[in-house]
Amino acid sequence: MTRTKPLGTIASDASGPALAGHLLAPAAGARRRGFTLVAVALFTAGCEGRQSALAPAGADAEALHLLFTSMLAGAAVLWLGMNGLFYWFSRRSPAAFPEHHARRLILFGGVFAPTLIVGGVLVWGLSLLPDQRAPGEGLRISVTGEQWWWRVEYLPEGDAGPVISANEIRLPAGERTEFLLTADRFIHSFWIPALGGKMDMFPGRETRMSLKPETPGTYRGQCAEFCGASHAWMAFEAVVMPPEDFAAWLEAEAQDARAPQSESARRGLEIFRREGCGACHSIRGTEAVGQVGPDLTHVGARHSIGAGRLGASLDDIALWVAHTGELKPEVQMPAFPHLEPAELQDLARYLKELE
Amino acid sequence: MRRTLFILAALAVAGLAAAGSVVSLGLYNVSARAGHLPGVSWVLHTTFRNAVRLRAPAEDEVPDLSDPALIALGAGHYATACAPCHAGPDGSRTATMRAMLPVPPPIREAVAGWQPSHLHWIVENGVKMTGMPGWPAGGRADEVWAVVAYLDAVKRQDAPPLPEVSEQQQSAPPGAAYCATCHGSISAHVPRLDIQQPGYLADTLDDYLTGARASGIMQQAVSMVPPEALPGLAAHFAAGPAATAAAAVGPTAGAALATRGTREVPACTACHGPGAPVAQPEAPALAGQDRAFLAAQLRLWRDGVRRGSDKMSAAARSLSDEEIALLADWYAALPPDGEIEE
Repeated sequence: MTRTKPLGTIASDASGPALAGHLLAPAAGARRRGFTLVAVALFTAGCEGRQSALAPAGADAEALHLLFTSMLAGAAVLWLGMNGLFYWFSRRSPAAFPEHHARRLILFGGVFAPTLIVGGVLVWGLSLLPDQRAPGEGLRISVTGEQWWWRVEYLPEGDAGPVISANEIRLPAGERTEFLLTADRFIHSFWIPALGGKMDMFPGRETRMSLKPETPGTYRGQCAEFCGASHAWMAFEAVVMPPEDFAAWLEAEAQDARAPQSESARRGLEIFRREGCGACHSIRGTEAVGQVGPDLTHVGARHSIGAGRLGASLDDIALWVAHTGELKPEVQMPAFPHLEPAELQDLARYLKELE
Repeated sequence: MRRTLFILAALAVAGLAAAGSVVSLGLYNVSARAGHLPGVSWVLHTTFRNAVRLRAPAEDEVPDLSDPALIALGAGHYATACAPCHAGPDGSRTATMRAMLPVPPPIREAVAGWQPSHLHWIVENGVKMTGMPGWPAGGRADEVWAVVAYLDAVKRQDAPPLPEVSEQQQSAPPGAAYCATCHGSISAHVPRLDIQQPGYLADTLDDYLTGARASGIMQQAVSMVPPEALPGLAAHFAAGPAATAAAAVGPTAGAALATRGTREVPACTACHGPGAPVAQPEAPALAGQDRAFLAAQLRLWRDGVRRGSDKMSAAARSLSDEEIALLADWYAALPPDGEIEE
């Protein structure tokens, strides 16, 4: 866990590859210092940031973090103790050890102590499992792993129908939210490291987990099970909000899309219709009712485009529409390179106004 | 021992020299009038018959060949592509055809002794060194069954007369009467053209001309018409000015699939109408289109035989046979866009 996390963090940040490349290519004479820098960068990068289990922002991640740091500290104590014993008996007191002492040492140090320690850690670890699957306090969220994006449906308490969204998950702070997880065709794994553990998503089967985030903020989730060419680009933003803000947001998210405001966005809407985007995408309140791709009703309010592939600026949206396959290998959405730059900007403006 | 080897080597050199001189000096007489040496015809023909029987598709792949529309379509293709050599059931071959080697058999004789699956293989693949060509379009074994249906009707002595082109309509552009022998005259398998925009039809004809779109029947038909006449024909057969209107959409499974799609299948109507919000030049209108034609084309898209649109290839990728039937039924039953407005 300590190893994979920092690497993932660096690779997923826009500045990450450049930074890592810089650090990995030092002048020949400074190679040793370079490696030290890399090691320090990798280690410290894991201690903060929005995709790190070492920077917990929720009750479940806190529990895992405490388990992990306790095991790390215990391992350090064991390691020092064992090496101390080696040092003592080989250098300080190399005389032969009485046999009955040796037997006792092996019995206690080799059988009883490990059984107690491993058993204790096992009980502790297992005791965390029920919390990871505890039922939520009302809100449930259904997430379906697709190639390579996330179909998200908020299932509030009561009779209200599901609120359909995609590629971003918002959660109320201080409340336990239950996730119903499944997948379309391939196995994925749902993981928001800063908020808790991970859970696999299987086609044709529902798995459950729950999360209780504590600290409002924006975190990053990532598919944690290799699922094909663009597995590494299958991410999402997880936004933890104060409960009242979340309630207001969910109410807004349930509304139909608002009509385009600017002239540019109106032209963008015409392009959206002309290109048949509605065959795959839904924008509630319009004739776009496709179900193949992500729901775009409030896409303009999301923090990323292409399931965490790009930011959410107008240029990002235009770049995505024109170059889907280059940005995300084997993605199902065809690219629209035939659109003029001005048309792409209009289309991006229309989508950006869908807040 | 050494002597034997020497003789064998000398014979081999002499044989190679003789073979080389036949090729390089032109000693073999390739004249069709000279005919084959005794026995050669029997060897070639027997090889041909056995090769066809070995490779023909299985009997259970043969579709319903009694469909009159399928027979009529086959007859239309036969009239221009096959009749020049094999003549019609009641016609006779010209003196020049009868001078070919081997002589193309008159059609009644040619179909005798073959099962439909055998005929399918022969029409699709042709026969090497006989002048019998293979089907002009790869991957379109489905089209060949139309010709087989006609040949089967010939064999049953139940074939309709071959269509004849009469250019009596002075106002129509050249070639229109020829196109109309199938389009508008055959009740199934042939697409309706009067629901499409002229630009789409012109692009389609161009795709057939360049081979970008594969169809043995249409590539043959387009090659029968002077290229400069194609835009005029597209305009002649196309619909009037674009008219869009929301169609009455019944609550059937086909309607749900076409208008909403599924998580695997995009909504057809977003591009193809009815009531597509903006005319899309590259997306044909489908309301009122022929059912069998729609189903065949959807299968071609799904199976990757028909290409040329990334969007359509992706859209059809996950279609099941049942979904194709639902969509074809629904679209075929719809009134065309233009007619609703009236």
